Amino acid sequence: MAVETGSQRPPGETANEGPAASRTLASGAWTLLKRFLTLREGSVIVITVLTIVYFSATVDNFATSANFKTLLPYFAPVAILAAGEVYLMINGEIDLSIGAVYLFAPFIFYKINNGGVPLIAALILALMCCMAVGLINGVFTAVVGINSFIATLGMLLSLEGLTLIISHAQPVDTPGTNVVGGLTTFARTFGGGTYSELIWALVVVAVLQVVLTLTRWGVYTVAVGGNRLGAAEAGIKVRLVIIRNFMLCSTCAALVGVLEAVRTSSVQPDPAGANEVLFDGISAAVIGGTLLAGGSGTVVGALIGALFLGVLRDGLIIKGVNADYLSFYLGLAIIIAMAANTYVGRVRKGSGVG
Amino acid sequence: MAESGINGEHVVAPTAASDDVLRVEHISKRFGPVTALRDINMHLRKGEVLGLLGDNGAGKSTLIKTICGFQKADSGQMFLHGQPYEPHSVDHARKLGIDTVYQDLALVDELSVFHNMFLRREKVKKPLPFLSNRAMRSEAREALDDIGVRIPRLNVPVARLSGGQRQAIAVARTVHSEASILLLDEPLAAMGAKEGALILDLIQRLKEEGRVSMIMVLHNYVHVLTACDRVNLIQDGVIALDKPTSETSVEELTEIVVEEYRRARQAARAAGG
Ligand SMILES: Nc1ncnc2c1ncn2[C@@H]1O[C@H](COP(=O)(O)OP(=O)(O)OP(=O)(O)O)[C@@H](O)[C@H]1O
Ligand SMILES: [Mg+2]
Repeated sequence: MAVETGSQRPPGETANEGPAASRTLASGAWTLLKRFLTLREGSVIVITVLTIVYFSATVDNFATSANFKTLLPYFAPVAILAAGEVYLMINGEIDLSIGAVYLFAPFIFYKINNGGVPLIAALILALMCCMAVGLINGVFTAVVGINSFIATLGMLLSLEGLTLIISHAQPVDTPGTNVVGGLTTFARTFGGGTYSELIWALVVVAVLQVVLTLTRWGVYTVAVGGNRLGAAEAGIKVRLVIIRNFMLCSTCAALVGVLEAVRTSSVQPDPAGANEVLFDGISAAVIGGTLLAGGSGTVVGALIGALFLGVLRDGLIIKGVNADYLSFYLGLAIIIAMAANTYVGRVRKGSGVG
Repeated sequence: MAESGINGEHVVAPTAASDDVLRVEHISKRFGPVTALRDINMHLRKGEVLGLLGDNGAGKSTLIKTICGFQKADSGQMFLHGQPYEPHSVDHARKLGIDTVYQDLALVDELSVFHNMFLRREKVKKPLPFLSNRAMRSEAREALDDIGVRIPRLNVPVARLSGGQRQAIAVARTVHSEASILLLDEPLAAMGAKEGALILDLIQRLKEEGRVSMIMVLHNYVHVLTACDRVNLIQDGVIALDKPTSETSVEELTEIVVEEYRRARQAARAAGG
């Protein structure tokens, strides 16, 4: 759980309460290292750094700024998706419809804009439509009582179908991007600029991590995921917390959908691509140290998980790995990363570190 | 058959004393085919500690959860300080000054000790509602020191604590709230002798201050006789005994329960034959 990561521990209550003077420098450094490794994000950071080192050493043009720019779209969108998903997974729920929302959002944005609504307003309306999708997911899960896996699986299919219906399965040009003579401010801000998606990702992750760690919303999210009955007994409005998080998750997915549509300046009605987005989002969250069982998770971890996935995919591609092998290697790497996570998690439980 | 009462005594509807802080009248509650509460009449005086006894499954927790607003009764009324009282949520009841230690403690394993202590009563900063962790931590520390329970670190998730420590946190949380009526569902269940004594001392102190009134579910008759002013026994969904503890004894309470077992066994045998 993020609420007790090392950084906030006040000086008086550290793991070692022994007299500071008697501690040697070496043991201090060792404590720090141990503390780092047992951070919830520690193992994914180590794995990601190792992966980066490996590719830098074995692939010539990996550690270049050009490649860094290639890498960005692999990871920034996934980080935003995973950030929203982390909230739901901490709640003990899951949202499988993020890929479908990602697909749906730019089309609805296109339709609204085509109806004569200015770009920014159309974007906001599109995000609100997708927020309503989250509301529906939340109501089915928290009020009607359908398992969220099933409810959002249904949403995934219906929304992908709906997208195909309203788009007539035809791609369209993303509004605001087809201007001759360079990018408009709108396009530069919402995905078109080189670092636009990265900045969005960093902002979304930072805000959501702060909300998770330092606000009631975050504490209630953890409480509902950790002990649903207990949370209700304490007076927490469990349904409201779950619905709110579904809405947050859908909004994140919608934002990514629009950012990607603006970046590529076309909206593709491609459910297969959307499903890949879904897998990446959930993988990043899980690799980042969020438990599917609920009660625990970190948004920053999900960002690093997304970076890991991006580096891996990018590195394998530059290395010239055959496309058929790519998925195979990715899958293996995810399992190995998860195994490392679980192992470190066990060590963390054993040690005295939160 | 339960209406006939036990040992010939029968409990009448509660006398509406003017210093009743809480009155419960004809409360009933069913769960599908199970009737947990049939017709509960009970009252709690100001500053009083009322012990609630009953077998497993008698409906003690159900009654507590009905009073604290966690679940609604099927029928009946409640009165708080003489006013009709219909809690529609735990928050609502808490706002009216009722706070609860649940039998299952309602702690979140993943949250730290102090986050649990302030669950749903978090202290936040202004103008942005960020948690004041520092303030909560130091206040939690004070509350726990006040009881005398030793929990070295308040930053650790409560999953790491022992059963007794967890229970101490749940009790401290409720006692430390601003509530004037405390409902404690088996607050000593997981406590060793020493911690149990600490909690009993705390309750004694609260009683002397006279600010709060308490309903306490207990299984240990000695605890009932030491800590409570009055004892109620739930049987067959009604309050079957209502006596000041000064007028009863461990022997009498044991006798009642033994008697109850004997009748139950007879009833079972009669049904079987
Ligand atoms: N949420 C519920 N759903 C269904 N049945 C319930 C529920 N809560 C309680 N019951 C039933 O109501 C009856 C009374 O339960 P309750 O928990 O109030 O007993 P109790 O007196 O607190 O027992 P114990 O001493 O074991 O804590 C039991 O038969 C129980 O099975
Ligand atoms: Mg009970």
